[in-house]
Amino acid sequence: MIRARCLGVWLISMLLASFAPVGAQTTLEKIDKSGVLVIGTRTGSPPFAYVNKNNEWVGFAIDLVEKAVVPALAKKLNKQIKLEKKESAPQTRIPLLTSSAVDLIAETMTDTQSRRDQVDFSLTYFVTGAQFLVKKGSPIKNIQSVAGKRVAAQQGSTNAKLIRERVPTAKLLEFPDQPAAFQALAQGQVQAYTNDGIQLAGLRAKAPKPEDWAVVGEFFSYEPYGMALRKNESDFRQLVNIGLMDAISSGLYFQLYDKWFGAKGEVPYPLSPETKRFLEMQVVPK
Amino acid sequence: MTYRFTWNILWSGQTGGWLLQGLITTLEISAIAWLLALALGLLSGALRTAPVLLLRWIGAAYVEFFRNVPLLVWMFFWYFAVPPFLPQTLQDWLLEHSAEFWAGVVALGVYHGARFSEVIRSGIQAIPKTQLEAAQSTGLTILQAYRLIIIPIALRLIVPPATNETLNLLKNSSVALTIGVAELTFQTRQIETYTAKAFEALVAGTLIYLVLCLAIALLMSQIERRTAIPGMIARGAGES
Repeated sequence: MIRARCLGVWLISMLLASFAPVGAQTTLEKIDKSGVLVIGTRTGSPPFAYVNKNNEWVGFAIDLVEKAVVPALAKKLNKQIKLEKKESAPQTRIPLLTSSAVDLIAETMTDTQSRRDQVDFSLTYFVTGAQFLVKKGSPIKNIQSVAGKRVAAQQGSTNAKLIRERVPTAKLLEFPDQPAAFQALAQGQVQAYTNDGIQLAGLRAKAPKPEDWAVVGEFFSYEPYGMALRKNESDFRQLVNIGLMDAISSGLYFQLYDKWFGAKGEVPYPLSPETKRFLEMQVVPK
Repeated sequence: MTYRFTWNILWSGQTGGWLLQGLITTLEISAIAWLLALALGLLSGALRTAPVLLLRWIGAAYVEFFRNVPLLVWMFFWYFAVPPFLPQTLQDWLLEHSAEFWAGVVALGVYHGARFSEVIRSGIQAIPKTQLEAAQSTGLTILQAYRLIIIPIALRLIVPPATNETLNLLKNSSVALTIGVAELTFQTRQIETYTAKAFEALVAGTLIYLVLCLAIALLMSQIERRTAIPGMIARGAGES
């Protein structure tokens, strides 16, 4: 649906449109042909997807794809499926998907209504909400107390949007990635850093002295993470969901959860009974 | 599966205002950084041709140090590494007055100053040595000769490469988004966040940069035409 308004816009949109695949191949056909599932994920988002000390690209979201989604695909297509990982960022993940550079986004991507205009989502595989990371003993306790304060957020995140709307007096500074935002917090350029609670917990666990930092405030947003895929690919979406549902009902999901978020995991973050119930209720009968 | 273009997101709601804000910030950071770069470039470009070895070394050290480290590193350097060494009152003032903006200005200005320096040095070295000797023989000191004769001529010689550097500086201002400066590229990403329309936002940003750069190139070619010295550089495109 390209409606050219002037020559320049038309030319550039043609250029962009040329990146889109020509044939009307579905994602499932593409995977069947190549034998490869290409996912877009993060390298610096522990424990969902990051490069660990041994230089391996691992994480909870990657495990879920590898151990739940890939087997479901392999079973359906009746062949071995290889997993290929590519780096994605909040700004690039939707274009990566729509241009077919990747087939599935498996990272800390919140399922939202406006994003659903562009892409489809799997069922929710993780639930969190926005909080604040502050220096221990900071007067900042919740979203009301950041009024007039300097607050860092991640560019392209839903949290930045909420702060701007709900506390317009806060001085919001947006950074492209976690390390820069944390550096700004550590040096006092900002007084708080807002992000999804689980990501802040991950950052705190990775900090040189975790005890100097605190994750504070009640969730001031609802952030259900889903895996994103191209729109109108119900066959593929069905398989991704079957993989996730099987993982939840067989207990594999909770084993993986324990591996990453359990008491001995990368980021201890106990699963609340409500969230556990919510996950289980997403599993529809066979 | 094809991407559906919805161009009206660019002027509906707040997006138009964001693009305008981004454009203004880009122009502000670029203009101030450009002035800083020109001043530093003139100074060190002149130093590099000075008849004193120590001065030439100082000029060369500045140029080689600042142009050979990536701009991104300089952004982080000026934003994260420098403030702790400033006096407390200045630190507090900066934090309340967009420290990221000023760090961006300094990073861009000092980096491009090193690049401008080479442009200006080549302009100065294009002037025959006899010009300086003639200036000195009329009784001007070396400082006066540089200020009144050499630099003005050099500036007129270097308009085309200086245009290049100016355009680079404008486009490099987008690197400042890494330290949170809400310039044009930053705003296009923000539009993507709010509307999930990445291509439209990118196209808008691309067109704005293109128009800005074309306007600068046009302005500089006017300057080039008007300041050309007849008989010295009035050749080719400069002639009309």
